[in-house]
Amino acid sequence: MKSKYFLFVWMLGVFCFALLYPIPFIPALGDKARVLYFHVPTAWVTVLAFLLSMVYSVQYLRKKDILYDYKAASAAGLGLLFCILATVTGAVWAKFNWGAFWNWDPRQTSIFLLLLIYGAYFALRSATESEETRAKLSSVYAVLAFITVPFFMFILPRIVESLHPDPIINESGKINMDRSMLMIFIASLAGFTWLFIWMLRIKIRLAKIELSELD
Amino acid sequence: MDALYSFLERNSYYVVLIITLIIWLGLFLYMLSVDKKLKKIEKEHEV
Repeated sequence: MKSKYFLFVWMLGVFCFALLYPIPFIPALGDKARVLYFHVPTAWVTVLAFLLSMVYSVQYLRKKDILYDYKAASAAGLGLLFCILATVTGAVWAKFNWGAFWNWDPRQTSIFLLLLIYGAYFALRSATESEETRAKLSSVYAVLAFITVPFFMFILPRIVESLHPDPIINESGKINMDRSMLMIFIASLAGFTWLFIWMLRIKIRLAKIELSELD
Repeated sequence: MDALYSFLERNSYYVVLIITLIIWLGLFLYMLSVDKKLKKIEKEHEV
């Protein structure tokens, strides 16, 4: 329980530093660069959640334990939530930097496709009545869906011309960021990851109750 | 109060900070209440 209060204080600190700590002048971005403290961690958690969904799906296919299917769906659900957050925060930033909320930039297109792919995962789940068939189908789908994630999140934006600012690890494989900004960014990344783990554990506990009700 | 208002009007950063902190506080309290409710249900069900 105490760790949750520590998370609360940690994120309070992150928010204060993210908004108030001076950052160096960045051409064409200025103070709008601060969005990276919130936008990038949501995208990171999206990848982490989809990865976990794939891992749980593989475990379901190996062990045929229905709890793994529930875990995979919980992780994918949170991944979708954070993916929507990354899309919305990116769109708001784009309005003030590019002049429009949506520009079909390669980054925006790729995250939109990811939303569709994982939206289809839940459509597939709700379209199948039998629990076992649903678990099997969606596990295979989750594994196949994750194959597209590295391509859309990491490869495509690096090989196509984009207006999006350089990724944190740029084309030359180096981190090109001011030291203090990097520290706040890592703190935010850790906080968001922690928050995600807490949310996932709650969803898994709920799934366990749901399963015990079914038995 | 007027002094605070004019300060916030001149430093809009703090307005954004206050809004962000309110959202975080709300989210955190919601998560905490869900966690507590869940613990209670878990005890009832002995999961």
